[in-house]
Amino acid sequence: MLLEVTSLDAFYGDLQALHQVSINVDGGESVALVGANGAGKTTFLKCVSGLIAQKRGAIAFAGIDIVHAPAEAITRLGIALTPEGRMLFPSLNVEENLQMGGLNRRHGHWNLQRIYQLFPLLAQRRLQMPNTLSGGEQGLVAIGRALMANPRLLLCDEISLGLAPVAVDLIYASLAAIRSEGTAIVLVEQDVKRASSASDRVYCLLEGKVTMQGASRDLDAGELTRAYFGT
Amino acid sequence: MVWLGTIINGVLLGGLYGLFGVGLALVFGVTRIVNIMHGEFIALSAFIALGISMLFPNAHPLLLLVPVVVVSFGLGFALQALLVNRAMRLPDPVAPLLLTFGLSVIVRNLMVEAFGVNPRSIRQGDFAQLSIDVFGISIGVLPLVTLALAVVLFLVLQFVLRRTEIGRIVRATADNSETVRLMGVRPASVYNIVMGLSFALAGVAGLMLALRTTFTPFSGVERLLISFEVVVMGGLGSFWGAMLGGIALGVAQLVGLRLNPNSGFLYGNLVFFAFVMLRPNGLFGSRL
Repeated sequence: MLLEVTSLDAFYGDLQALHQVSINVDGGESVALVGANGAGKTTFLKCVSGLIAQKRGAIAFAGIDIVHAPAEAITRLGIALTPEGRMLFPSLNVEENLQMGGLNRRHGHWNLQRIYQLFPLLAQRRLQMPNTLSGGEQGLVAIGRALMANPRLLLCDEISLGLAPVAVDLIYASLAAIRSEGTAIVLVEQDVKRASSASDRVYCLLEGKVTMQGASRDLDAGELTRAYFGT
Repeated sequence: MVWLGTIINGVLLGGLYGLFGVGLALVFGVTRIVNIMHGEFIALSAFIALGISMLFPNAHPLLLLVPVVVVSFGLGFALQALLVNRAMRLPDPVAPLLLTFGLSVIVRNLMVEAFGVNPRSIRQGDFAQLSIDVFGISIGVLPLVTLALAVVLFLVLQFVLRRTEIGRIVRATADNSETVRLMGVRPASVYNIVMGLSFALAGVAGLMLALRTTFTPFSGVERLLISFEVVVMGGLGSFWGAMLGGIALGVAQLVGLRLNPNSGFLYGNLVFFAFVMLRPNGLFGSRL
């Protein structure tokens, strides 16, 4: 098991955002996390990547306990996050943004050249500032930046949000290429169809709890709707 | 000819003012902290330079730059690591400002205790009195060196921020201090370096000030105002803006003093006032 999260509780101050969440991801596997706004999907990803310190439970990554590790240390173990809203650095051009991802000095398949092969569009835009790019191009930079860390586990927080369908197709096609390098992916999505077609397994979150899990191919639509909306 | 000389000397003085402001601009640009203690950085650096000059009475004054920069970088780094980072972790965004305000009062009074209030100066050889004659205009070598030094430091700083990995990290941290953590960067470590650099730049300014004129523990307070005016005129966080702002203030001050020898910094302040009314975002509104 690559990522093993057991009975995770997370808090923002007095507010509990996750309740006893247990989610597993195998090496090379793609897992989708679906749920409505405020279900705790982003919180879960922030816990795993170390951005939320107020948590209890167990998070093991490749057998190492990381529940109390800070984000700076977790990236070196091989977990990368493309954060909600992409969070590119506006003062850095495309290439510099990508280089930031490579700071953790993990060796592996991905480097600037390989990213440009995967996304030829970015090679043309390498000296442009992020705010001059389209939303889809910004999404590619965010994924490229995360890949530069050569992660064993890539966490994607709503990478398709607000993008044109063409751009979403491009991004999801790249996920397949990323998986072929053996990288496991956790995909947070609101679009259930998208998420299940790009994943092996699906977890559904509702109000900070896991309400359903199962293989993506034999999802029961009615059961998923109940898990999603809590009806 | 007299006026031309005045303006040239004003430009040269602007180099010193630019140096006053650039460290303040750097810290604000990266940490968003308004460092009230910046004036004390300058005054303390002048005393550090004085102390080091006593240890090496025969050294060329410009050689003092090296130890002064090293000591002030260390002090800035330690200040950030031990105190300011803690204040930055508090939920109240005003805490770091209050901290630097309190520290400025403490440091100023500690300097009074340690060094007294009599004006001091560094008299190292006759370097500070040298001047060259260009078409009948007398130009001081020290102000010329100060401006040249400021330009070189600005270029180096610009190069480091734009072209090196550490510069990239500093800019990214200024943009988003949470996201850089995902890349393995500890923001507090970046702030330590930035505060060290800021103090080192103030150290250069403090040494040049000490070579040029007399100073007391209260010299920093007066220079803090100039530093602020320089930064605001340049546009918050812009280095070349700080330089141009410094030059505008330097020229205004010297021209004003020629019009009325008792005016002090009045004309500089008037130029600043007019500037803020006309261009409230500064020369360059950009960041870093």
